[in-house]
Amino acid sequence: MGAWLHDSMTWGNAVIIFLWSAVFLLVVLGFVTYAIYFERKVIGWMQLRIGPNRVGPLGLLQTVADIFKLLIKEDTIPRKADRFLFVLAPILCYVPAFAVLAVIPYSEKLYFADLNVGLLYYAALSGISTLAIVLGGWASNNKYALLGGMRSAAQMISYEVPLVISVVGVIMLSSSLNLKDIVAAQSGGWFWDWNFIPQIIGFVIFMIAAVSELNRTPFDLPEAESELVAGYHVEYSGFRFAFFMLSEYVYVYAIAALTTVLFLGGWHAPAPFLDFVPGILWFVLKFAFIVFFLFWIRASFPRIRVDQLMGLGWKVLLPVSLLNVFLTAGYLELFVK
Amino acid sequence: MFNIDFNGEFAAFSILSAVMIIGAVFMVSLQKVVHMVISMAAVFLGLAGMFVLLDAEFVAFVQVLIYAGAVSILMIFGIMMTNHQNKQADPVKPLHETLSAIAALCLFGMLFYAIRTTDFPDAQPLEGVQNNTFSIGELLYTGYVVPFELLSVLLTVAFIGAIAIAKKGED
Repeated sequence: MGAWLHDSMTWGNAVIIFLWSAVFLLVVLGFVTYAIYFERKVIGWMQLRIGPNRVGPLGLLQTVADIFKLLIKEDTIPRKADRFLFVLAPILCYVPAFAVLAVIPYSEKLYFADLNVGLLYYAALSGISTLAIVLGGWASNNKYALLGGMRSAAQMISYEVPLVISVVGVIMLSSSLNLKDIVAAQSGGWFWDWNFIPQIIGFVIFMIAAVSELNRTPFDLPEAESELVAGYHVEYSGFRFAFFMLSEYVYVYAIAALTTVLFLGGWHAPAPFLDFVPGILWFVLKFAFIVFFLFWIRASFPRIRVDQLMGLGWKVLLPVSLLNVFLTAGYLELFVK
Repeated sequence: MFNIDFNGEFAAFSILSAVMIIGAVFMVSLQKVVHMVISMAAVFLGLAGMFVLLDAEFVAFVQVLIYAGAVSILMIFGIMMTNHQNKQADPVKPLHETLSAIAALCLFGMLFYAIRTTDFPDAQPLEGVQNNTFSIGELLYTGYVVPFELLSVLLTVAFIGAIAIAKKGED
């Protein structure tokens, strides 16, 4: 599919590319709708509740109803808010969230942009969403929103550093920044050829930093409801609020897909005799497991304190991720060359 | 003088230049500091787009990561930490402004003329142009390894110096 990007741009090609993007957008929106349902159900079961079960069979239409409610709500902008930035912030938040999805390869044939700096592209664009969250918090002209925005800026910058450094080991092993090549470098046939075993330190750091980047429990301090009402989106309602929530769940999709690609071997089967199953199914299975894992963490851990948060990021994760780079370099120098 | 062929690259170039120029003008002329930072971020993003047009993806996305992301957030953070009252605008001095505008136009004319009349030799295609990220890495760690390491030491010194200065203010 990505091969079309290398053809010359005719009207026919433009229409095909546009239609595929539309299909992909619908897939992502469908994922977001049912990820929210799934999250509420799973957390409900883990806490011995039933979860949503009223709207539609098994409550399957609950999220659809919620989204419909958000879209028809009154769109309010506080009188003392900075109107321009207040309107700009949700847009600036969800555009990068969708843009990062362009580089993720799903199987050998199914990918969108085959970019040679795919990983860097992801890291760079996801930083723009942080900017949007801070701006949203500031533009609301509300102290809780501002505190939430500040916390989010501090947290997301602090955890982006170990997140990026923890994948340096993977880049060194596959000697490429291209996500397709990174998956191709994990093709040994067995599951121990995937990066998560040789890069176990990097993998653990990546997961911790990723949960923090997603602002999810136990790192959901930017929207700690017991301290900050709701954090940076206190003043947002209706579809602007929906856009913030949408980008949050699109990032769940992006991080789960990125983890699958970087550490869990992408579309490769765990054992050679399982090769007959199409690669896309393996991708979806691993992807679904990561998404479930994120919900599982949310239901299991308490929120950590704000003073512990920075200490963990700078004093534990950063040195350990640097050590991981050093160990990987030593291993490559001593045993591979 | 205007040997331009109108293709997709030219369209992208025009849009990006418009974004950058408008961003730069707003950066200077807007009243609120946060708005200025946003227009500066637009300039950074436009510049990254220019790098993509020049097939320098690595530089482009490092530009987004460092400037549009980290530097802008740092500036906004700094602005929020400090208190800003909207200052009264300085009284306009017509003569001063006219002279500045003439000087700026002259400078633009000179630069534009110089650029348009210069004969740029065709750049030799580098080896491995397909993967210029790889070439950048290779050059940094072979031909330019000493300046590269010196720069890292300089950055570390600046970093430690910043911490030392911040600590001094705390006492």
